[in-house]
This record gives sequence, structure tokens and C-alpha cells, in this order.
Amino acid sequence: MPRYVNLIDALNAAPGERPFITYWRNEEEQETVTFGQFRARARQQADTMRAKGVNRGDRVVIIMPQGISAMTVFVGAMVLGAAPAFLAYPNDKVEPSKYRQGIAGVTANLKAKLVVVDEQFPEDMLGHVSLSDGCAIRRACEENDAGLVGAVIDASYPADCVAFIQHSAGTTGLQKGVALTHAAVLRQLEYLTQTLDVDNNDKIYSWLPLYHDMGLIACFMMPMVYHVPVVMQSPLDWVMQPETMLQVVSEHRCTLAWLPNFTFQFVSRKTRPSRRARYDLSSVRAFINCSEPVRASSMQEFQEAFQACGVKAGAFKSSYAMAENVFAVTQSGVRSESGPSRIWADGSRFRNSHQIVPVANGTPDAVCFTSSGRLLPNHEIRIMSESNAILADGMVGEIFIKSECLFEGYYNRPDLTAQAFVDGWYRTGDLGFSLGGELYVVGRLKDLIIVGGENLYPQDIEDVVASHPAIHDGRVIALGVDNPDLGTQEIVIIAEVENEELLEKSQEIEREIRSAVAGGLGVSAGMIFLKPPKWIVKSTAGKPARSATLEKLQKEHRELRIES
Amino acid sequence: MTAEEQKMVDIILRLIRKTNVTIDENTLLVSSGLVDSMALGDLLLELEDLTNMRIPAGKVRPKDLDTVAMMFATAARVGKPQK
Repeated sequence: MPRYVNLIDALNAAPGERPFITYWRNEEEQETVTFGQFRARARQQADTMRAKGVNRGDRVVIIMPQGISAMTVFVGAMVLGAAPAFLAYPNDKVEPSKYRQGIAGVTANLKAKLVVVDEQFPEDMLGHVSLSDGCAIRRACEENDAGLVGAVIDASYPADCVAFIQHSAGTTGLQKGVALTHAAVLRQLEYLTQTLDVDNNDKIYSWLPLYHDMGLIACFMMPMVYHVPVVMQSPLDWVMQPETMLQVVSEHRCTLAWLPNFTFQFVSRKTRPSRRARYDLSSVRAFINCSEPVRASSMQEFQEAFQACGVKAGAFKSSYAMAENVFAVTQSGVRSESGPSRIWADGSRFRNSHQIVPVANGTPDAVCFTSSGRLLPNHEIRIMSESNAILADGMVGEIFIKSECLFEGYYNRPDLTAQAFVDGWYRTGDLGFSLGGELYVVGRLKDLIIVGGENLYPQDIEDVVASHPAIHDGRVIALGVDNPDLGTQEIVIIAEVENEELLEKSQEIEREIRSAVAGGLGVSAGMIFLKPPKWIVKSTAGKPARSATLEKLQKEHRELRIES
Repeated sequence: MTAEEQKMVDIILRLIRKTNVTIDENTLLVSSGLVDSMALGDLLLELEDLTNMRIPAGKVRPKDLDTVAMMFATAARVGKPQK
């Protein structure tokens, strides 16, 4: 059982002088707060919010740049028993119109008592924040907020109160608010820290945004509850200079880092070989690959790039996580000397019958899967068929989960909640299989392409297409679109060429791609659209956005009547 | 345009993979969508090489790299000599 009544109780139990958060901007500008200092600043924020009428059960929306101030506002709201929610701060990666639409939708659903923004938050954006009756806006000022000590506030509310609301991934504006109780969060953290053997010697590194479960739970709540120091940098600073991740880990001797799969390739490719020798990554006992499909090749690339910096093969771990379960569902073994398990399966059986038949590495048409690890304690999964039958090990189906950490519903959205649960099991919308007690995640159910009864995973097609030398790696989308004449789906491929001059050779490239797809996967590609650089629409995370790209394609090629 | 600025223009053209675009030292790059944020890291590395300066983390925002001229002005403002 969790040792604390609620999350604030856990913070109050932390040794006051122990360092909590170090906010790293560069080697000369770093701010560290101890648990005692953080507690005092959070209480001061609570005082200020109470003066604005915030009480137990209210919602507080926080739209501030990532930093210690935003975190003290978040915890300050929890001190009062209110439920805070971090929303993404506007940035140049998101179209302003989309951001405005998103912020309006999310804030309308939350019906917040208080919206806290920073001094620089654009006035025109503020006009799109939906304010319910009695809702106030506060511009937090870092200079005024720092250094003040708030009164001790009785935070003895029960663990079944909502602690905070985190938003599940989804199109901005349609993001679903996941309300999580203190009890659910404490249980998740207990299981996670047990599984990872977290102790006082650990130090966490993070560049992750706090509005995402991986940043919020693993890199903020877990350190707060288990009194572990964390070194953070802003996501924007990291993306502009990805190599700084290596610098921070080296300087601070961090031991744990949660990273989405793309980070492993991104950091390897954006750090010049000549500069690698200056870093020492030997302190890291776990780089946890999470929140995207886990690819062994990405971790291998990172290991090869930084082997000389002390990166151990056993340091690579994987996890399957989601906001609806607070965070992790599975985690690969932290004591293992090697990376996550891998399995090679017969490609044809996988595509035709959703079945995993292990074959030797190197077998023609073999498909490689990387494990996301074993279930956390008190977690269960079922792999379900389309007709809701429970599937055996080695069969691919939709992943359903049940756990002590599961959310109770989407905030103010009973309609979505009803769709999400079947007999108390949460439908994840992800496809995967169990084998040898481990979970392998294959992809998203909605992205599955079914051609003449054969199941195809877009990533497999995209990998084949991206291997063509004229196609830009990572800029390919494969989609299944209905073909009414054939009564089934056909594969549509959208791919960016390396440079515009290559478009003159479209016919030849198309022919080669068709041949590669047919040869590699045994299926025929339907329409292939070769596009100039930067044509494919990207998500806020910088990845090809399927639905938005299809929408663009439909607008540009109305004559083709492409329908999803 | 200086020789270094011209070199940066050539690097950007290679990076954005477009051949029918003309870029000079004042062409808007980030705000126009020509260069996306995932490519800014590459530009900063190139800028460090061209200026022989080190650009400290956390000192530069995407808007500081919106034109080639602004890139070199930013390097002059926040850059430090290479170790």
C-alpha cells in the first residue's frame, strides 16, 4: 500500500535540504530548489490561489513555460485540494489557429476556477481561453512569486480526491482530460519505483514537457513523492540543441531518463562524432524508451554512437504507458544485462492470420518486434479479437487493460468514457500480443490497413518505401483507403523525395517503390504520391501526421475521390 | 552578403531540400515555414563552425534564427569563443 495519504503528504515528508529540481539552461545558468524551498513556494502559490477563490474540487489551468514556477503553481493547486492541469504553451511548431481552437476546447471542458498564465502569454491567445462563470485569470510573475513563504495549509483530504487532470494524446482541441485520483497516482508510483528499483542514489534527467504523462508522472510526480532529484531542461532548448541532453547527463551524473523512441536517433544524428568523446554517460542505468512504438534499431544506433561514452547495452529499457493508467502499464527488466527482448516472426503469418510464429533472425520476410516488458504489479492485460474474444499468447489483437491505477473516466465526457470501457476493461486502441509473459505493441488499431483480408501495418510499408534512396527517411505515410469498386482497402503511399529535381524521375521511382513493396511484403501498392520536400504535414511532435496529410491529399487531388 | 553568410545560405538550401527557392541574408526562414524547429539544431551547429563561436544552450530562440543575418547577429551577441 502507498505510504502516504495523498501527494502533498508525500512532498511534506521530504527532507527539506535535499535538492529536488535543477532547471538547466546551460552550464552557467542553472537553478536548483530543495524540497523545502519548493514546498514553501508551492504553499505561497496556494495562498495566492486561495485569495482568488480556489477551493477543494476546483480546476486550475496552467499555461506557462516549462519551469519551476509552473511546477509550484501545479503543486500549490493540489495543496488546496484543487485539480490542476498543465496545457501546452504556444510555440512556433503549432499553427496559431489550431492552438487557439485547442485551448478553447480544452478549457471549456475543464470549467476552471482559475487560469494561470505567465507575464508573456499573448493577449490575443488569452481571448480564446474559455472562461466559465466566476473564473479568474492570473498572470504569475516569477520575480514576485519567488522567495515568498506561504502558510502551512491543511492538505489532509482523502486519497480518492482528484489530484490533477492530464490530457491524453490526440488532436489538439480534441484532447481528452484524464482525471486521476491521489490514490491512483500513488499506487502507480509505488509499482513503478518497485519495478525500477528507484532509490536515493538515483537522479532523473528530463527534457519532456509536463503536459505529457511521461514528463509529468515519471519526471515530476515520481521525484516529488519518492524524494529523488531531477534535472530538467526545456523541450524547446533541447530540440534546438539536442546534444545538451548528453551534457546535462554527464554534468549531473543522472541515472534514469525516459525518452520517446525518436530521441535515440535524433540525438545520435545531431551530435557530431568529433564531439562525442567529451561526454560520460556511464552513470545512466536506464534509458527508458516509451510513448512511441519501441524500435530496437533506434536504441542500437544510440548505443553504437555513444558506446565510447560508457553507454551500456543493458541500460536500454522499454515501457508501454498511457495517461489513462496514470502512466506505465509495462516495464522491461531493470536488472537485465541486455536490452528489451526481441523476437522475429514469420511475416506472412503475421499479416495474414495475425499470428506470431517465431523464426530465426535473418529468415526471409521475418518481422522483428521489440518487447515493452512485463506488467507492473496488479496490472492485467487481455488481447482481444474484433469480436471481443480473448486471444491466446502469440495472437495479435487489441490490448485491453485493467489495473489499480486506471482512470475512472474522461473529464466531463461520459460519452467517451462509455466507449472506452468494456466490462471494466479499458480499450487502448493499440494492437499487440503477449508472448513469454511480455507485451509487444504492434501499432494503432485505427491505422491498420486491411487489403483483401490481409492485415498490413503502415510502419512496415513505410520502412520499405523509405529505404528507396530517392525518398527522404521518415517522410513517408502509408494509408488504407476504401476502394468501393474492389470492396476492400487499397494502399495509398505518400512519400517525400530527397529533392525536387527527383520529381522529374517520378515514374521510375514509383515503379521501383511498387516493386520493393511487392517484393518485401507480397502486396501491391495502390496509388503512390511522390511529393516535394516538406509536403507531408507534421504533428506537434514533429512526426508525419496521418489524418492531416490525408486531408491535404484529398484537397489537392479531388479528382481521385480518395476517401478514408 | 558576406562569404560566411553565403556559406550558410548554401547549407540551408541543402538542408531544406528545395531547389526552386532563392534565399538571401534577409529571407524569413522559421516564421515562413521554410525551416522547421527540428532542423534548427543543425543550423546552430553550422553557425558555430562558421563563426568559430560556441552558442550556449538556452540563449537562442527560433526567432533569433529567422534570417541568415539574424543568425550571425545572434552568434555575435551570445556566442563565446570555442574552447
